[in-house]
Amino acid sequence: MLKFALKNMGIKKVQVILIVISIIISASVGVLAFNVSSQVSDGITSNAGYYSLIVGPSGSKTQLAMNTMYFTEEPLGTIPYSVVTELEQNPNVVSAIPYAMADNYNGSSVVGTKSKFLAGKELKAGEMFTDEGSLEAVVGATVAKQNGLKVGDTIYTSHSAAESSKHEKGILVVGILDETYSVYDRVVFTQINTLWEMHDHESDEHEESKNEEHEHMHGTVCAVLVNTKNPTYAMQLVNEYENKTITHDGETYSLQAIEPMQIVRDVLSDADDTKYIVFVLCAIILIMNIIVISIITLLNMYHSAKEISLMRLIGISMKKINLLYLIQNSIIGAISTVIAFGVSRLCLLLMGDYVATMGVVLNLNKVYPLEIIILVGIFLISVIPTIICTFVMAKRDSLAE
Amino acid sequence: MISITGVSKKFKNETAIDYKDMVFESGKSYILLGASGCGKSTLLNMIAGILSPEKGEITIDGIDMTKLSQKEKDLFRIKNIGYIFQDFKLITEMSVIDNINILKLEGIDTSKADEVLKSLDMLERKNKKIKHLSGGQKQRVAIARAIVKSPEIILADEPTGNLNFAIGEVVIKELTEISKGKTLIAVAHDDRLCKYFDYVIDMNEMTGGRYDA
Repeated sequence: MLKFALKNMGIKKVQVILIVISIIISASVGVLAFNVSSQVSDGITSNAGYYSLIVGPSGSKTQLAMNTMYFTEEPLGTIPYSVVTELEQNPNVVSAIPYAMADNYNGSSVVGTKSKFLAGKELKAGEMFTDEGSLEAVVGATVAKQNGLKVGDTIYTSHSAAESSKHEKGILVVGILDETYSVYDRVVFTQINTLWEMHDHESDEHEESKNEEHEHMHGTVCAVLVNTKNPTYAMQLVNEYENKTITHDGETYSLQAIEPMQIVRDVLSDADDTKYIVFVLCAIILIMNIIVISIITLLNMYHSAKEISLMRLIGISMKKINLLYLIQNSIIGAISTVIAFGVSRLCLLLMGDYVATMGVVLNLNKVYPLEIIILVGIFLISVIPTIICTFVMAKRDSLAE
Repeated sequence: MISITGVSKKFKNETAIDYKDMVFESGKSYILLGASGCGKSTLLNMIAGILSPEKGEITIDGIDMTKLSQKEKDLFRIKNIGYIFQDFKLITEMSVIDNINILKLEGIDTSKADEVLKSLDMLERKNKKIKHLSGGQKQRVAIARAIVKSPEIILADEPTGNLNFAIGEVVIKELTEISKGKTLIAVAHDDRLCKYFDYVIDMNEMTGGRYDA
C-alpha cells in the first residue's frame, strides 16, 4: 500500500509540490511568528527581573534600561563611582553593581563591572575575573565561538570600528561563559578597572583628541544595578534618586532611577499592538493557506476521480482506496510540516543577529507547545479534505449505481 | 457455470432490457455479437457485479451475484473474474507493471506478472509508462492484468474495439489462447472473430426488451 501510495504521488508531482509548498509556507509562518514573538517577550521579561532598580544619568529611561539589561543602545553618560559606594552602604540594599560600557571587541560590547554581575552564570572554561584586578575578561559563548577564543588568549578592544582606535593594552581571557541563549553570549565582561585603565592610557596618549567620555571615564560608571531587600525599599530609592543632583570633582551630575520591570512592561505594552498586528497578519496568511491547501487537495481528489473509478471497476474496495489516499496525503502532510519546522528554525538562525540587536538571543532549540499544536493542526488540515472527499465518494459510490 | 435467469435491467432513461435465460459453461469461450445498445456490455457488467439487475438471478458456480452486497461483489470480482475493458482502464502515468501490481492493494498475488507479460510479448516493456504504448500494447496490458490472478472467468468488453482488425485479431488469438480451460465471454462487433470462440451468441435474439438499435 505504502509503495503504491508513493508511486501514485510520483505521477502527480506538480500537485504534490504545490500542496507541499502551501503547507510549508503556512506552517513555517505560523510557527516562526509565534516562536519569535514568544522568545523576544520571554527574553526581555526574564532579563528585566534581575534587578530592583537601576540608577544612572538622567535622560531616556528606556535607553538606560536597554543599555544596562540588554547591552543595546549607547550609555546615557556617566555618574561618579561614589554613587555605587553610597548604595553599597545603604542597609536596605543587598547589592549595588557598577556597570560601564565602553569599547567593543570585533563588534561585541565590552562591559566593565564586578563578578557579581555574572552571578548565576556558568563558566564553560576558566574562572571568573577578580574584582580587584584589571585587564582580565570573561567572554560570552558566542563571542568565544565567533572569534575562536580560549582561556589564556589576549584580546584587544577598540573604541570604535576603526582599526586606529584599537587599544594597545591587551585583556587576558580568564573565562568563557557557558551558553545562556541570551544577550550575555555576545558580550565581553571585564573589571571596571580595565575600562578606567584603558581610557586613562588613551587619554594620556591622545591628549589633543580626547573627548568627553575619555575625560570622565576614570572613577565613573554608566549605571548602578541595585537589588534591595524588598520592593518597598526599591520604591523609596527610586524616589530618592529620581532627579537627584550630585557634585563630584567639581562637576555636576544629574541622576535618575528606574524600575526595570516597569520600563519593560511599558515597552512590551507598546510592542503588544505591533505583536497583535503581526498575529492578525499571520492568522490571515494561515487562513488563506488553509483555503489554498483545501482547494488544491480537493482539486487533486477531483482529478483522481477517474483513477478512483478505474480502481473501483477493477474491484478495489472504497475502503482500500480511502486508505491509499489517506496514506498519500498523510505522507505529504507529515513531510511538509517537518520541512516547515526546519524552515522556521532556519529563519530563526537567519534572524538571530537582527533580534540580538534588540537584546534577545534566539534559541534555536526552544520549542513552544503551541508550535507543536500549530504543526499538528496544519497536518490535520492537510488530511481532513481527503477524509471528507473519500467519505463523500464512498457514499456516492458509482458502482452501487 | 454462469446462468442468467429472468434478468431484466432498467436504465435511468426508463429503457429496459429483458434477457432470455442463458447458460455459460465452464471452460468454454463465448463471443457475444449484436447491435449497439442490445445489452451485451450490460450483461458483462451484471455478471461482474458492476451493475445489478432489477429482477432475475445471475449465478456463478451456485453463487447468486444479485444477492451479494456491493462490497461482496467487488471482492468476488477481483478474486474470481478477469475483466478486460474496451478502453483498457489503465493508469496512463504509471508503468505496465504498476498497473498490474495495483491488484496487490486487495491482496491479489501478482507474482506471475512477468510470465504473463512474456506470453503476451510485453515483458521488455514492463517498466514503460502506459502513455508511451500503442493501442495493441495497452490492450495486452489490460489482458495481462485480467489474467495474472488466474481467474476462472474472463470477461472482455469489446477488447478489439479500439484496434484495427489485424491487431485486433492478434489480440483475440492471444486472448483465447491464454484463456484455454477458463470461461471466456467476449463482446465484439466483428463476426470475423467468431472462429476463435467455441460459441457465438447473437445478443439481438437473446434480449426481448426495448433497446436503441
